[in-house]
Amino acid sequence: MKNIITIGLPSKGRLKDKAIAFFNNKGLKILQSNRERNYFATIENKPDIKIIYLHAKEIIQRLGDGTLDVGISGLDLLNESKKNLQNKIDIKQKLDFGGANLVVAVPNDWIDVQTVADLEEVAFDIRSKRNTRLRVATKYPNLTNDFLISKGVTQYKLISSLGATETYPFIGSSEIITDITSTGKTLDDNNLRVLKDGLILRSTACLLIAKKKNIILKSFLKILLKN
Amino acid sequence: MKSKKLSEIIIKNFKRHGFVLSEPDVLLDSEYIIERSGEKFRNLMLTFENEDGKIMCLRPDLTVASCINYLQKKTSSKIYYSGQAYRRSGSKGFNFINDQLGIEIFGSKNKMKDDFKVISTILSSSKKIKRKKIQIKVGDIGLFKSLINALVMPERWRLRLIRHYWRRNYFEELLKRLENNTDIDAVTFDTDKKRFYEMKKMNQSKIIAGRSISEILKRFDQKIKDPRSFSDGKQIVKIIKSFLKINCKLSKLDKKLLDFTKKNNLEKKIFKDLKSIQNLKKLSQDIIFISNFGRDVEYYTGTVFEVFAGNKEIARGGRYDNLLESLGAKKNIPAVGAAINLNNI
Repeated sequence: MKNIITIGLPSKGRLKDKAIAFFNNKGLKILQSNRERNYFATIENKPDIKIIYLHAKEIIQRLGDGTLDVGISGLDLLNESKKNLQNKIDIKQKLDFGGANLVVAVPNDWIDVQTVADLEEVAFDIRSKRNTRLRVATKYPNLTNDFLISKGVTQYKLISSLGATETYPFIGSSEIITDITSTGKTLDDNNLRVLKDGLILRSTACLLIAKKKNIILKSFLKILLKN
Repeated sequence: MKSKKLSEIIIKNFKRHGFVLSEPDVLLDSEYIIERSGEKFRNLMLTFENEDGKIMCLRPDLTVASCINYLQKKTSSKIYYSGQAYRRSGSKGFNFINDQLGIEIFGSKNKMKDDFKVISTILSSSKKIKRKKIQIKVGDIGLFKSLINALVMPERWRLRLIRHYWRRNYFEELLKRLENNTDIDAVTFDTDKKRFYEMKKMNQSKIIAGRSISEILKRFDQKIKDPRSFSDGKQIVKIIKSFLKINCKLSKLDKKLLDFTKKNNLEKKIFKDLKSIQNLKKLSQDIIFISNFGRDVEYYTGTVFEVFAGNKEIARGGRYDNLLESLGAKKNIPAVGAAINLNNI
């Protein structure tokens, strides 16, 4: 019996459209189910391939537990996930869409803070004057921690955010943020500015596979990776 | 059991030197530790969430746990403990549990006397249990601070170097930056200045993300006045690096430091506070002085030392004058302490 290959694709937005286009361009035509909100799809003339639409974060999880064999998701989400999960996943290719940067942003009017070194000083200031710590709102606690500590910023506290992180500094929930940005417009519109050396990660969409399935997927990957 | 017998011998010696038993809590509030005594413990602690959602940890360090005990339960100020500290380490297969026997003197006003007391007590205990050749290595974080304060550089840089002294990798990065002067950015500096004048006209007590306008402008102003570029960066880094290479017998330290100051055109008297270290010569013991020493624990502020039996480290300690205050003491309480690591015996 032939192995069924299960592929996870993002279920929403531009990332979904681009991911579908990526497969179509490789000559793998994705056939949507007749019912608009159905989460399953197939590929024309490939009865042994199954496609599932999932949240981009979920795709990483399911590659890790073996539910999925192949997936498209963001490098940011992969790198943010736990180490033992990352160890189970291989990046086969960085794709030319879904580009965005994870950055450290501060309020525009903090004109004395231009670099991470400035931030480190201000964090110490806050600590010594008020005995509280600089609060950093983020959806990416792991990447943010690694970055800040590597840059010598230690006197801070993470505030976990689920969305609209850009508002946090102005409603008293945090002082600064880290967030993902592609054009910088949302940051700009909310009076935030990226630190000069505040790039944490340059992210793109990636073609990912479950490490264990590397051999089984060999011939399929050949189709996917050809130009 | 062998280690039990050894513990008894050591404890007897601690008691004989006037140290009183203290039993710090095993479970501590991890937020309290991170908040007060630094990030170093964040990745080392073994934590769990209690029913209220509070993150608790097993005590990662017995000095910190003893300090907390001292502050909360007003225990005696000259204590010993016997117990386990629990922490992860980077390397695999390393034990989570450290069996330690230690002593601490809280409120230690007489540095010279108390440093000597702690080191001599640890030394005599080590000698009672180890036949191998005992050797002591000492350093002094205070000397590094004296050096930095004697060098000509912007105050911000001074504070930075002292603050990150214990974080070796980042410290190296700082030296590189100091050397290459990569702290300047003229272009944005001009635009910032424009905004500076606009903001000067605004209500100075207005808060922007937790900081008042006056606070932001004050720091900006300092940044302008504090010369950001200074050509001596290379020379300063050279001096710091050569200082960190000093490694000699304690008996030769005076001469070494004199040579060092002469060679680098520094005043002799910048290293005047050497009494406590020099006093250790009385121990009639091989002592090596290493300037690049005691840099892996954030809270040390003065004398630091390690005791070796053969080439195995069996005890370490040092002076930590600011830890109690950062753990919430109302006033500054200087302190010094050390612990014997039973796992290495």
